[in-house]
Amino acid sequence: MVTTNKIKHKWGMVVDLDRCTGCQACVIACQAENNIPINTKDYFQQRRAYEWIRIERYWEGEFPNVKAKFIPILCQHCENAPCEPVCPVFATYHNDEGMNVQVYNRCIGTRYCSVNCPYSARMFNYWQPNWPDSLRNQLNPDVTVRTRGIMEKCTFCVQRLRRGEVNVEQRGIEPLTGEKITGERKLNYRQMQEGNYLPACVQSCPTNALQFADQYDETGPVKERFDEANEIVEKRHHGEHIDENHTRTYRLFEEVGASPNLIYLKKVEPFPLEKRPR
Amino acid sequence: MLPLVVAGGVVTVIMGFILVVLLISWFSNPPFGLGNAPPQPVAFPHTVHVADNNIQCEFCHRNVTKGEAATVPAVESCLFCHQEIDGGSSTTSANSQAEIQKVRDAFDSETPIDWERVHRLPDHVRFIHESHIRYFTDDDPTKKYGINGEELKETLDVALTCTICHGDVGNKTVVQPKTGQSLKMGTCLDCHRNNNVPTDCTVCHK
Repeated sequence: MVTTNKIKHKWGMVVDLDRCTGCQACVIACQAENNIPINTKDYFQQRRAYEWIRIERYWEGEFPNVKAKFIPILCQHCENAPCEPVCPVFATYHNDEGMNVQVYNRCIGTRYCSVNCPYSARMFNYWQPNWPDSLRNQLNPDVTVRTRGIMEKCTFCVQRLRRGEVNVEQRGIEPLTGEKITGERKLNYRQMQEGNYLPACVQSCPTNALQFADQYDETGPVKERFDEANEIVEKRHHGEHIDENHTRTYRLFEEVGASPNLIYLKKVEPFPLEKRPR
Repeated sequence: MLPLVVAGGVVTVIMGFILVVLLISWFSNPPFGLGNAPPQPVAFPHTVHVADNNIQCEFCHRNVTKGEAATVPAVESCLFCHQEIDGGSSTTSANSQAEIQKVRDAFDSETPIDWERVHRLPDHVRFIHESHIRYFTDDDPTKKYGINGEELKETLDVALTCTICHGDVGNKTVVQPKTGQSLKMGTCLDCHRNNNVPTDCTVCHK
């Protein structure tokens, strides 16, 4: 047998809440990239809207002294994902690149996973997806159109990862050094250059609030943040005191223990609401 | 007592029938020829083009070394040759003359030929022809294995790579899905495991 020398990846995202302006560009980009059906007012009122990434908005203070806070929430691709063990047919599992994968053709629609997800990141297809005729040709051919009765969620745009891998393999050159790849390395060449693979939401973010890279990549933009977050978890585990003002890094619902592959950076408040100059 | 026996017998017959149907549909692929492609609008013989005249697969299926789909050639590509070649003049070739005339008529009236699709994958599968052909035609020293685990000794050309999955299309007058491999997921996985390439679900399903 051929020996694989696959380069290991572990994908991760950092969401900087200080930069997020709540513009919803990521929501639209995700909708267009992943063949998500068009939500109507009716869908929202029934709380059955399809949103793989959503911006939650919180108000702070009393009128007229109010301030809006935004937080983008998507599938957290947890390491100890609560959705995975409850699936009776193994339609959701963790792959070796740190992604929580939903296999549509295995799913039988029990909805246990969406009940067990602490982030409400999973959407169930209650209806057959329907697009107006004018939009039929804009469907992404790389993404399956999900039928009625199955669960779906953010995939970290895995179709873009596979497309990027094919592009790297086709050119047959090392992305970083420009050398020609030969022999066995060529067979399982899986290294992705930074920027070869970005999810649609990250690519569309106008303020770079979302950052996406390999956690193992020493020069990448997210490694430092993940190291910091893991250190805090370690300290908390040993009961050490953590200065909350010292670090901005946190994971959503850390007490649940799902250890997501997403990290949020706290919003910095140079002027707290009551001391803000009028 | 008698009605119970009759009811039991009826249930057994129904269950047995369902079981037999399921077994047949699983093991015979396609069952009773149901999976065969409908007749093509033009009776295109691969034997004449490939076996007799040695035209390579990628001469007509042009996109097969470039992208996902192998693509069926446009009518213009047929006319490369068939504006000169008219299928012979003897009476035995009257049928082929008529078929070639259909292609020329389609070109003159600017209507594409409505070919029937033979190999159809489900919507949730993404298959890229280009990367598979690149893998098998590559002349690097690593060993490669076929679907049944046999070692492929020498570097294949594009046509031989096609026969791994599609069977000996060049010697078939009519191409049917059962000409080659069944194209079930097990077939894909066998070959991927033999060659030690990724078998993660997201490689094909996304």
